Amino acid sequence: MNIDSIVKGIENGDHLSISRAISLVETNCVNDNVREIISRIYHLTGNAHVIGITGPPGIGKSTLIGRLSGMLHDSGKKVSILAIDASSPFSGGSFLGNRIRMQEALSSRGIFMRSLANRGISGGISRSAWDVVKILDAAGSDVVIVETVGAGQADLEVRNLVDTVIVVLGPGLGDEIQAVKAGIMEIGDIFIVNKIDREGAFLAIKDIEDTLAMSPGKKWHIPVLGLNSLNGEGYQDLLKVLDQRWDYISGDPGFKDGRLLMELRAIVQNTLLSRVEESFAGKNAFSRTISGLSDKTTDPYSAADRIIGKIYLKGD
Amino acid sequence: MSEERFSEAGKNLSLFKEKPAKVLLAKPGIDGHDRGILVLARAFRDAGMEVIYAGLLPTPEQVVDTAINEDVDVIALSLLNGAHMTVFKKVADLVKEKGITDISLVGGGTIPEQDKPALEKMGISGNYGPGTPMKTIIDHVMKRAAEARQKKMSGLH
Repeated sequence: MNIDSIVKGIENGDHLSISRAISLVETNCVNDNVREIISRIYHLTGNAHVIGITGPPGIGKSTLIGRLSGMLHDSGKKVSILAIDASSPFSGGSFLGNRIRMQEALSSRGIFMRSLANRGISGGISRSAWDVVKILDAAGSDVVIVETVGAGQADLEVRNLVDTVIVVLGPGLGDEIQAVKAGIMEIGDIFIVNKIDREGAFLAIKDIEDTLAMSPGKKWHIPVLGLNSLNGEGYQDLLKVLDQRWDYISGDPGFKDGRLLMELRAIVQNTLLSRVEESFAGKNAFSRTISGLSDKTTDPYSAADRIIGKIYLKGD
Repeated sequence: MSEERFSEAGKNLSLFKEKPAKVLLAKPGIDGHDRGILVLARAFRDAGMEVIYAGLLPTPEQVVDTAINEDVDVIALSLLNGAHMTVFKKVADLVKEKGITDISLVGGGTIPEQDKPALEKMGISGNYGPGTPMKTIIDHVMKRAAEARQKKMSGLH
């Protein structure tokens, strides 16, 4: 498939085209294919409610998405899913296991779902996640669900990627002290206590609610919901809350501005970073500067300033 | 070597300069003996591939649907129940029906010698049985993945 037919296919929501486009953009090094695809579909983006699902490994994120995506689909919404799993920092390989938990919901309804490996990027998502979300958005999705890598306390990148962060927790993960801690407890727009049939679930809900009550006065009231993903208990409430959240977002025209700035910053940062990597990769990189340093005719900070100037201007 | 990698974990992207081969492992049809395929999944991961396992009892349609959504380079099929001539063929037919020529198919399981030529003809290569060294399987899958990747790239422009 060539890029023309891929772009056309995205507009028509064709799964094969969407999939091929994702393959082209899911790279750590931005290349011409990425630039071309994104520039050609960008005008089609911005219509989807992008929902991030994060939380510790094994808490039930994938199972939750399986059930939620089915219910959203059945209520008439077009849903697409991006699930990110961890790459091995040793072999570079990955076992992408999210799909198994949602396959039933997907295949009977024709929901598009893609697994990505994070390929060495920490923070819970992959570097290409922004571009993949744009493709799914441009393909006419009403809802795009992004599942992060099983997250720890400080994996917060998803906050910059999505409209709504759902933090999924469970009973037995910690007491009220844990709930007050910084990091992942600060990024949720909706909190979920999953596996509500297990002991301690209501205590967990109470601990999170108490913590949230300490910072009142926010425009969006952060709900805490209990779910049982096996029998569907609590899911109607979740659908209702997601509708309210979408109304809230739609009522704030500047809602995405902050994220657009963050994304622009990330692109500039990444582009510069890869230029830095390129310029230092050569065998005799900056050999004159190095001898200047060993002769003490310059110092590291002045030398770095000169190099930064060169790197920054390259390509302009 | 491994120490060096430890210090780089999470930061160093040089490991990920090249896109890893992406493989879908599947046991289509009624066959719940998944110990072997999980061992393969783990070995493929350790060989640097991105591995997706289709789970227990997927239909051929689900396998092909997954392969399209995930844009894998290789669909690796395994059956120990003797239904390979029917079910592997169904998968190969579906792939062809969708007009896909740039995803490779490989097979494995308890496959009698006399069935192998017919499977090869369907485009399903390898067809390794029990006792095959892991390296033989990995090398073959990597080779078929590289073929698929090359076809995908050449179709682009």
